Amino acid sequence: MEKVVIVRYAEIHLKGKNRGYFERALAANMEKSLKGIRHEIRRRSGRYLVENFEESAADTIVKRLSKVFGVHSLSVGYKVPSDIDEIYAAAKLVCDDGGTFKVETHRADKKFYLNSPQISAQIGGRLLDGNKSLKVDVHEPDFVINIDVREDGTALIFNKFIKCADGMPVGTAGRGLLLLSGGIDSPVAGHMIAKRGMKIDCLHFHSYPYTNMQARQKVLDLAEILSQYTCGIKVTIISVKHIQEEIHKNCNGAYMVTLLRRFMMRIAERLALSDGDQCIITGESLGQVASQTIEGMTSSNSVVEKLPVLRPLCGFDKNEIIERSRDIGTYDISIRPYEDCCTVFLPDYPIIKPKLADVLAEESKLDVEGLIKEAFASIEVKEF
Amino acid sequence: MIYFDNAATTRPERAALEAANIYLEEQFYNPSALYAEGYNLHRKLEGARRSLVSHIADPDEFGIIITSCGTEADNQAIFCGGRRGNIVTTMGEHAAVYAAAQEAGRRGIEVRFANLNSDGSVDVDHLLSLTDDKTSLVSVMHVNNETGAINDINSISARVKEKNPRTLFHSDGVQAYGKIPFTLGKNIDMYSVSAHKIGGLKGTGALLKRKKLVLQPFIWGGGQEAGLRSGTENVFGINVFAAAADIRYSGGVEGSFDKVRAVQARLWELLDKDLFIRISPECGSPYILTVGAKGVRGETILHMCDDEGLVIGTGSACSSNAAKRYSRVMQACGLRADLLDGVLRLSFNPHNTLQEAEEAAGILNKVVRADSDMMK
Repeated sequence: MEKVVIVRYAEIHLKGKNRGYFERALAANMEKSLKGIRHEIRRRSGRYLVENFEESAADTIVKRLSKVFGVHSLSVGYKVPSDIDEIYAAAKLVCDDGGTFKVETHRADKKFYLNSPQISAQIGGRLLDGNKSLKVDVHEPDFVINIDVREDGTALIFNKFIKCADGMPVGTAGRGLLLLSGGIDSPVAGHMIAKRGMKIDCLHFHSYPYTNMQARQKVLDLAEILSQYTCGIKVTIISVKHIQEEIHKNCNGAYMVTLLRRFMMRIAERLALSDGDQCIITGESLGQVASQTIEGMTSSNSVVEKLPVLRPLCGFDKNEIIERSRDIGTYDISIRPYEDCCTVFLPDYPIIKPKLADVLAEESKLDVEGLIKEAFASIEVKEF
Repeated sequence: MIYFDNAATTRPERAALEAANIYLEEQFYNPSALYAEGYNLHRKLEGARRSLVSHIADPDEFGIIITSCGTEADNQAIFCGGRRGNIVTTMGEHAAVYAAAQEAGRRGIEVRFANLNSDGSVDVDHLLSLTDDKTSLVSVMHVNNETGAINDINSISARVKEKNPRTLFHSDGVQAYGKIPFTLGKNIDMYSVSAHKIGGLKGTGALLKRKKLVLQPFIWGGGQEAGLRSGTENVFGINVFAAAADIRYSGGVEGSFDKVRAVQARLWELLDKDLFIRISPECGSPYILTVGAKGVRGETILHMCDDEGLVIGTGSACSSNAAKRYSRVMQACGLRADLLDGVLRLSFNPHNTLQEAEEAAGILNKVVRADSDMMK
C-alpha cells in the first residue's frame, strides 16, 4: 500500500487539440513547486498522480500543489494492488471515525471479478461491520469513500477532495509586469492575472532615504508569497527618490502623485519591453484614492505607448479586495505599517481630476528623459 | 562607523564577556542542583547579585530579582506592586511601564498619568495631586529615555510617602543604572535595571526590591529568585551583567559621567543652531542629547546619517498615521507641532570620544541642511 496524491485539473478540460501543451505546462509547474521533495508525477487519463514520496511529506505536497494554478482539486489516498482485501485495508485508513457515508466505485478494469456496485457493497458492508459509529446514507452522506479500479492492476482509494487554486497553468498566457507597491491591492491584482495563466514579473519603486528598509523587505515578502502561486517570480526595484525631489522642487505640489505615476508608467513600459513582458498590471481600483480617478488613470495611461495596461481590480470594492488578499495570504504582510512612496512629499490637497493639459504644463518643467535614465541606474533585481 | 544610539543598546564589554566565559563552557551546571558543582555556582551567583545591588544600594536592605529584561522588571513592579486602589505614573514613562499600566487599568485598577514639564521630567506637583490614600503604587522613571531628563526620585518618593506612607514607590532606572551617580533613598521600594544598556547582554534585566517588601510571584514554577520569578537562572547573562556593572562603576561612575558630558557638550556646541533646537535639558543625563531638527523628517535624517556612517535614533516614524507617527512622550512635553517630525536622539557611552562628537556634528549639520533645503 502506497500513499499517493491525486491531482485533478481545472479548465484544461475545455481545451481541444492543444490540450497537451497546457498539460505539459501544468506538470512542469507542479514539478517546480515540489522542488526539494522526492516524488514522481505521472499523468493518467485526465489527471495526475503524485507518488513515490515519503509519507511524512504528504502535507507539504498538498500545501504546495494547492497553490499551483491549473489544479482544481487534490485528494490524498492510497494505491493498492487490485485485490478486495487490500482495497478494504486502504478504505479503513481513509475512512472517518464516524458519521454517514457511501462508497463510490469506478471500474476501468472490466476484467476485475466484481463489478462497481458489488465492490461498493462489499467494502461498505465490511466498513460497517468494523465500526459501529458509521452509517450508510447514499443521498446526503457526510463523506464518500472513492474507489478507482484501474486497468494497470492497481486501485486508488481516497476520501476528501481538497479545493485548490483553479485557473490556468502559469506561463500559458504570456508574461506581464506587475507594479507591486506593498499595499493590499497590487498582490491581489497580480494573483488574479497569474490565475489566468500569465507569468508575472514585479516592479517596485522606493525612495530611500524617505522610505525605509522595512518597506522594501515588505515588498520582497509579498513577492515571495506570490511566487508560491506563480512558480517563481522576478522583482525589480527602482528608486524614484530624485524624481520626487525634482517634482517637489519644480512643480506644483498638488500634482506630485499625478506626475509620479506618469514616471512610474514610463519606467514600467521600458522595463517591460526590455524584459519581454507583454503588458503592465496595476492594482488600481476606480475611485479608491485621489490618483485612481478616471482622470488620474487617463493621465498616467497616456504615457504608455505600446503595451496594454491591465487593471483587474477596477470594479472591486475595498472589502472584496481585502477578502481576496486574506485568501492569498498577503494581507498580514500588506498591513505592516511602512509606507511605499513616502508621505514626506504628499500634498494636503492633491489634484483629484487632473486635466491633461495642466499635467503636461507641470511636466514640461522637468527633464523627463534624464530623470528616467537616472532612475534606471538604481535598478536592483531579486528572484524568488 | 560612529554609533550614537547607545540608549537603544550599547556594545557589550569584551572584558565582561571574557570574565563570564567560564560559565558557558565549564560551569554549566544548574545552580538549583544539590551536588557540589551546582551549589558552588549558586553561591557565586549570590555574590554577583550582591555586587549588582551594592553599586546603588545597601545589599542588606535591597534584594534583586533577575528578569529577562527591563520590561519584565517593570511589568513585575506594576502588576505585583499595584494590586488595589489606583496606580499613579507619568506620561513620560517607557512603554514597558506605560502599556503595563494601561493593561492594569483594563484589569480594573484605576490608573492616573501625571503631566510632564517641557524637558520630559515629571510635573511633581501634579503627580502629588493625583496621589491619594487609595494609591497603591507610584511609578516614576529615573531618567527619561527620550529626553534624558532626570527625575529626582529620592525627593519625589519622600514627598509621595509623606502623603501616603503605604504607597509603594517604583522607578524605572534602565537609563540611569551604571550611568548616573546616585544611591537609592529609603523611600524607594522597587527599581528596574537592564544589562544591555551598560555593556551587558540583551536578555538580562533585574528588579531591585526592598527586602522587607512582600510581593506576589510574577512567574510561577521551581521557586528561583526567592519564588518571585521562577525559571532556571541565566548564569552567563547574570555574570556578564555583574562584570559590566563593575566596569562602569569601577573608579566611580562620576568619571565616565564627566567624560560623556564633555562629548555631549562638544556635539551640541558644534550643531548649527539655525537647524537644531535642543529638547534635552541642560542638567539632564549627559548620555542622551535629544534635538529637534526644523522642517525635516527624523527618519529621513536617520537614513541619510546611516549612509554617512553615523548611527542615531529618532523619535518618530515615517507614517501617515498621525497617532503612530509622533512620539507620545514628545507630545506630552508639549513640543511644537513643526518639530514633532524631526526629533533626533543622540545617545552615548563612555567610550565615545570628542573627535566622534565633532565628526557627528559635521554629518548632522550637512545632512539636515541638505534635507531642509529640499523640503522648502
